[in-house]
Amino acid sequence: MSKSAKVTAPAVEVPQNAAIFAQNLNFTYNAKSAFAKRALDNINLTVCNGEFVAIVGHTGSGKTTFVQHLNALIRVQDGYLNVLGHDLSAKKPDLKALRQQVGMVFQYPEYQLFADTVLADVCFGLKNFGVESDKREQMARDALELVGLDFDKVKDKSPFDLSGGEKRRVALAGVLAMKPQILVMDEPTAGLDPRGKLEVLSLVRQLNQRDGVTVLMVSHDMNEVYENADRVLVFREGTLAYDLPPRELFRKEEEIRAMNLEVPAMAAFCNELEKNGFVVPENCRTVEDVCAAVVALKEARNA
Amino acid sequence: MLRDVTFGQYYPGNSFVHKMDARIKLILTLLFMVGIFFVKSFVVFGFVTVLLLAIIFVARVPLKSVLKSIKGIIVLLLLTAIINIFFTKGEDGEQPLWSWWKIEIYVAGLKSAAKIFLRLVYLVIGSSVLTLTTTPVDLTHAVESLLKPLRIVKFPVHEFALIMSLTLSFIPSLIEETDRIIRAQKARGADFDTGGLIKRAKAFIPILIPLLVGGFRRAEELANAMNSRCYEGATKRTCMRVMKLSWRDLVGAFVMIAFFTGVFLLYGMSKQWSVDVAWLYY
Repeated sequence: MSKSAKVTAPAVEVPQNAAIFAQNLNFTYNAKSAFAKRALDNINLTVCNGEFVAIVGHTGSGKTTFVQHLNALIRVQDGYLNVLGHDLSAKKPDLKALRQQVGMVFQYPEYQLFADTVLADVCFGLKNFGVESDKREQMARDALELVGLDFDKVKDKSPFDLSGGEKRRVALAGVLAMKPQILVMDEPTAGLDPRGKLEVLSLVRQLNQRDGVTVLMVSHDMNEVYENADRVLVFREGTLAYDLPPRELFRKEEEIRAMNLEVPAMAAFCNELEKNGFVVPENCRTVEDVCAAVVALKEARNA
Repeated sequence: MLRDVTFGQYYPGNSFVHKMDARIKLILTLLFMVGIFFVKSFVVFGFVTVLLLAIIFVARVPLKSVLKSIKGIIVLLLLTAIINIFFTKGEDGEQPLWSWWKIEIYVAGLKSAAKIFLRLVYLVIGSSVLTLTTTPVDLTHAVESLLKPLRIVKFPVHEFALIMSLTLSFIPSLIEETDRIIRAQKARGADFDTGGLIKRAKAFIPILIPLLVGGFRRAEELANAMNSRCYEGATKRTCMRVMKLSWRDLVGAFVMIAFFTGVFLLYGMSKQWSVDVAWLYY
């Protein structure tokens, strides 16, 4: 627990093991003017440490507004929000400590690169958060190798000389170098080729499973969401419409389509199987899992 | 936070002034801006005020948004006025109104400060009436059309107009991009609000460089997009909206020209042979 939690005792009981806890969170853009727009409407949720949560919803549904709350890029207007013990409803949360613990990867993060070498760019965050200079290089090396780049090859290159996929990985490394406990990503795979997508996703999964990083991922690709997330939050017009495990959520095909969202291919397939009376194991979401399940079903019938 | 900044604040409307030809509006605004410097007396300033209020009324734009444009130059206004107060010497034999050490204030100084102040305010109000009632697109077309004669001396009029309209259209997207980059760097712990001047200036490098790189990227993308749609410059291009003069332009031009002919005449006349209208010189 950090300092800020001690200064103001939370007025609300924060559940144990909660990384993110929001209660009655509201937000209005341009409040008190003719252009007022409700972006968040009474959001209540808890995300536990080590979860992989996907956030989906239409443009303007409030998901980006919510995600920016987690890093205090948008300050809490009304309601209670606690992230890793930092009370963000307090007047002055410890922003430095918070932002070090909550890594935020924006859409097209490669557009934020600025330094003359890859090393300097990855170290930017570390320097801002006051990591000693002799430790920085090692941390940058770890981060760059984590994203699959050869540290000695790229460290002195200009980030602008790299390919699109490499740039994105350098930008990711710039966030991961700080070893955040929560990783928030806004469409991390947008604009990447299929292979780049798979690489980023497997990196995120690895961080989540091996290092226990809590992951929140905004995505428009339902297949990606279905295969990776433990839980899916669906935002609709500023409200939290659904908060369910992916399998359960995508059984509601009608409701999903009514919100102009896609049903993932594997979910549709499993739903069809279930409609025809087959029992599909609860945790089969990837193509491989579904294949295995179908083979098992066939063998069970033959036997 | 940057989104509050407005540029070329067009106020949508359907009024007499909105419907006037952008070229005529531009010329009349220029006439107004030149003419205002030939106004020498407070009485005539009174007439100009009435004219401006009449124009604003006819244009049906709220007075508040017109006055907002003054906010941007308030420092310049006060500075000019103060300099005028202190550095204008009175006519020979005139007693200073107030003096202390080497600083002397004369009535003439106060008068000229007030006039400069009024001139600058009216200048800004006049031009903001133009931008409030004319879309940036129309304005660029007007500039292009008015500069056409310069083609004789090989001035690339069309390209100039294109640059102008691209500049205007890029401003909102650049503001958005700046906003995004600021957020991204803040998330990496960048701090723009503390430290000394040099430290703060340095803190802007992580914003400026991505912004510049992004600007070049957009420019290249746009150039490619234009190329792929067979854009080849001014030759053989026609406009979607053809500008035509109407009775409104005639009426507007007549009013403005008549008014400023009066102003110029008054300026040209010397005090001796205009005793009858001496009151106009106060």
